[in-house]
Amino acid sequence: MTEPLRISVTGVGLVTSVGETREATWAALRRGERGLFPIDLFDTTGQRASLGGAVRGLTLESAPEEQRGGAWSRSTLLALHAAREAMEQARLDPRRIRVGLVVGATTGGMFETEARLAELHVRPDSQQAQLEMLAHPLTSTGDCLDETIGPFWQVRTVASACSSGANALLVAANWLLSGRVDAVVAGGTDGLCRLTLSGFNALAAIDPEPCRPFDQRRRGLNLGEGAGFLVLERSTRALARGAEPLAELAGWALGAEAHHITNPEPTGVAAGRIIRAAMVEAGVDARLVDYVNAHGTGTPLNDLMETAALRLALGDELARIPVSSSKGQIGHTLAAAGAIEAGIAALSVHKQAIVPTAGLEEPDPACALVHVPGVGRDARVRAVISNSFGFGGMDSALVFTTPGLAPARHRRGRKVVVTGAAALTPRGLHGTTDCGKLLQRDASEGPRDVTLDLAAHLDLARARRLDRSSRMAALVVGRAYEESGALSGPREELGVILGSSFGTISASAAFMHRLFAKGPRFASPADFPNLVPSSPVGHVSIYLGLGGPVFATSDLAASGESAWAQAIELVEGGEADVVAAGGYEEASDIVERSLAILFERSAERQSEHQPRAEGAAAVILEEQGHARERGAKVLAEVAQVLTWREHDASPLLPLEPPRGHAGAASVILPRRDRALEDMLARSTWRGVPVRVCEGACGEHDALGAAAVAAAVSELAHRRIGDALVLGVAPGRGYALRLVAP
Amino acid sequence: MLRVFMAESTIRAQIKELIVRELNLEGKDPASIEDEAPLFGSGEGLGLDSLDALQLAMSIEESFGVRIPEGDEARPIFRSVASLAEYILGAKAAQEGVHPGGGSSAIPA
Repeated sequence: MTEPLRISVTGVGLVTSVGETREATWAALRRGERGLFPIDLFDTTGQRASLGGAVRGLTLESAPEEQRGGAWSRSTLLALHAAREAMEQARLDPRRIRVGLVVGATTGGMFETEARLAELHVRPDSQQAQLEMLAHPLTSTGDCLDETIGPFWQVRTVASACSSGANALLVAANWLLSGRVDAVVAGGTDGLCRLTLSGFNALAAIDPEPCRPFDQRRRGLNLGEGAGFLVLERSTRALARGAEPLAELAGWALGAEAHHITNPEPTGVAAGRIIRAAMVEAGVDARLVDYVNAHGTGTPLNDLMETAALRLALGDELARIPVSSSKGQIGHTLAAAGAIEAGIAALSVHKQAIVPTAGLEEPDPACALVHVPGVGRDARVRAVISNSFGFGGMDSALVFTTPGLAPARHRRGRKVVVTGAAALTPRGLHGTTDCGKLLQRDASEGPRDVTLDLAAHLDLARARRLDRSSRMAALVVGRAYEESGALSGPREELGVILGSSFGTISASAAFMHRLFAKGPRFASPADFPNLVPSSPVGHVSIYLGLGGPVFATSDLAASGESAWAQAIELVEGGEADVVAAGGYEEASDIVERSLAILFERSAERQSEHQPRAEGAAAVILEEQGHARERGAKVLAEVAQVLTWREHDASPLLPLEPPRGHAGAASVILPRRDRALEDMLARSTWRGVPVRVCEGACGEHDALGAAAVAAAVSELAHRRIGDALVLGVAPGRGYALRLVAP
Repeated sequence: MLRVFMAESTIRAQIKELIVRELNLEGKDPASIEDEAPLFGSGEGLGLDSLDALQLAMSIEESFGVRIPEGDEARPIFRSVASLAEYILGAKAAQEGVHPGGGSSAIPA
């Protein structure tokens, strides 16, 4: 039996519209101070509503030289402040112990990219503007933080819209339980930008007045910006280091409503299930809960649904437990919200006090809760629940307690197998049987676009909102799940993680061009929900009815890899029994133009610039016992997973040598890579035949998903017995060993 | 004096095209949408939802220059293609300063 584990929160960093530090924010929250003012970061002429919670003092202009330009963005700057503050409180030195970083993100560098799009709108031939379109991949925040306050041994970027920040904390907790790292800095960040203001206005979701969560006159949310980061570490390590635990992260849960891309599932059943699951996970009964920091956006639908969900989860105890929403003071900070509010929850435990719901004057009788109007107060706080519900119905709940209150947990190291695979390439849709074809050494001179009639393979009545990316993803995830047989059972527990690099860039650019051309009044409500990085995975969960863990990851050309690494962690750690892991990339003229300019200007060009292809692939990862119980056919077994960053000098050192004779083993890469092959030549896998997917699939950033699908197919058919799938992008790498069952 | 009124039937046809295009009802023939069929709610008619209502309102304003009020006032207007057409006709007539049933201004069809 392994050592009982507890996860301590040893640092909290907050940057919000009411305070640029943790203590300033907390003090302002307690006073009931509101930070919602007319947005002046950009022109809001013609916007239906334009109050927001901007962080006034922090601008890129006032940042040190090295934090302006390049990949730096408003969102990243906010993240830096909060992460640094959390690490300082925890007295955490990442040079001395292994520290991981998880960043929840949604808009990323959109604020900066909008300026480029505005330029391109009037000067379509501006090469500089075109080039700078690529300056802010979603991973920028993680990478900038790694450079500035790292080094971090493992870095992950997650996106689940409004629950991204909470999601990041869940991922971090899982890392700690698995022992991958000694501590994790995890949280979320988002800056205000025209796209989100226009989009939420198009949805008529913003209150023109300061918002009023739970109030019967509430008309919507106010947008905010900010960042929240927590330092999480195993309690025993924290104590050994002399770090004071502020609170304990006792439990967590995430899942999908599988209902609608913008509207919450009105009965609150799905959200209630997740809140309950977090409590069960924590071993915390409703009688121990003394406070709920709600998602509480102030929209008519959310607050109603959340009340119902809390009633389902807390039962009669709800009549005793105060519930408040900080969004009445700091606004809805999107990807930062789940983390900022988790920080508030942890602080409420540490300080034994609760904070109010500003803007609440006439409680809606349908939101029958113990409200906290006006100002905060001291209170006995044993356990706190923090809720976050994201677009597309990606819900999460976190439970914080006083140290030692809840039962300790034990590490779960479960065995993961693969039970399904599928891929979509310019050559068509492949199931498990023919994913091996992805390794055929055809010259990549075939079509680059997926020519399959996607609409013909989907139920159009339910797929009409799915854009191209979502359709490709739905096809491969659906096919992989069908092959696994898991769809014929309950879907409430089935999850899906999707990785993409360029993701929704095209759609975002189109939305902004329309905005520039026609003004905010004619921004398209139906298009906006498709712009966030987690839209495709949200659509897939709705289309297939998947209610398990659902979110998106991103990691440049290793985006496919980031998804399967994440999915394996979830299954291995016991967060879910079955999770689909996939990747997708869509052909895009805008991206192509930018890449062509980048190529032209790059010093070392070794070959002709090849336009990218498009495609998608997915595999089904499942806990071994679960697969056995339902009589599923096991295609391959996960033997080993490694992830690394640039500062790791010998990333393949822990790699086990191939089993059996060399002929039965294969190295499978998404694309040829000199540096990777050099690394292999110095490892125990030298001499093992190397095969790539690029020939059959064309090149794109989610090829890592295809590589795994191909490996699984080869193993399933006993063409090989041992496969090493490797994928890299500048500064990061992933390795997956799969063996035949 | 030439009097040309925007025919209600033309407006209905345009609304149906708008519905199919803006709400991405792929493969649906606009002419197959019945004038009086309920647009919203599950079970009957087209089964559109609140997100569709927002999209439709925006695109109607874009195409016809007519603004549909928000909230509960909008419900009866959105009931069917016929009710939408009636509302648009009335609003356009009001813009031109005439009563919908008859009048003296020329409205290009």
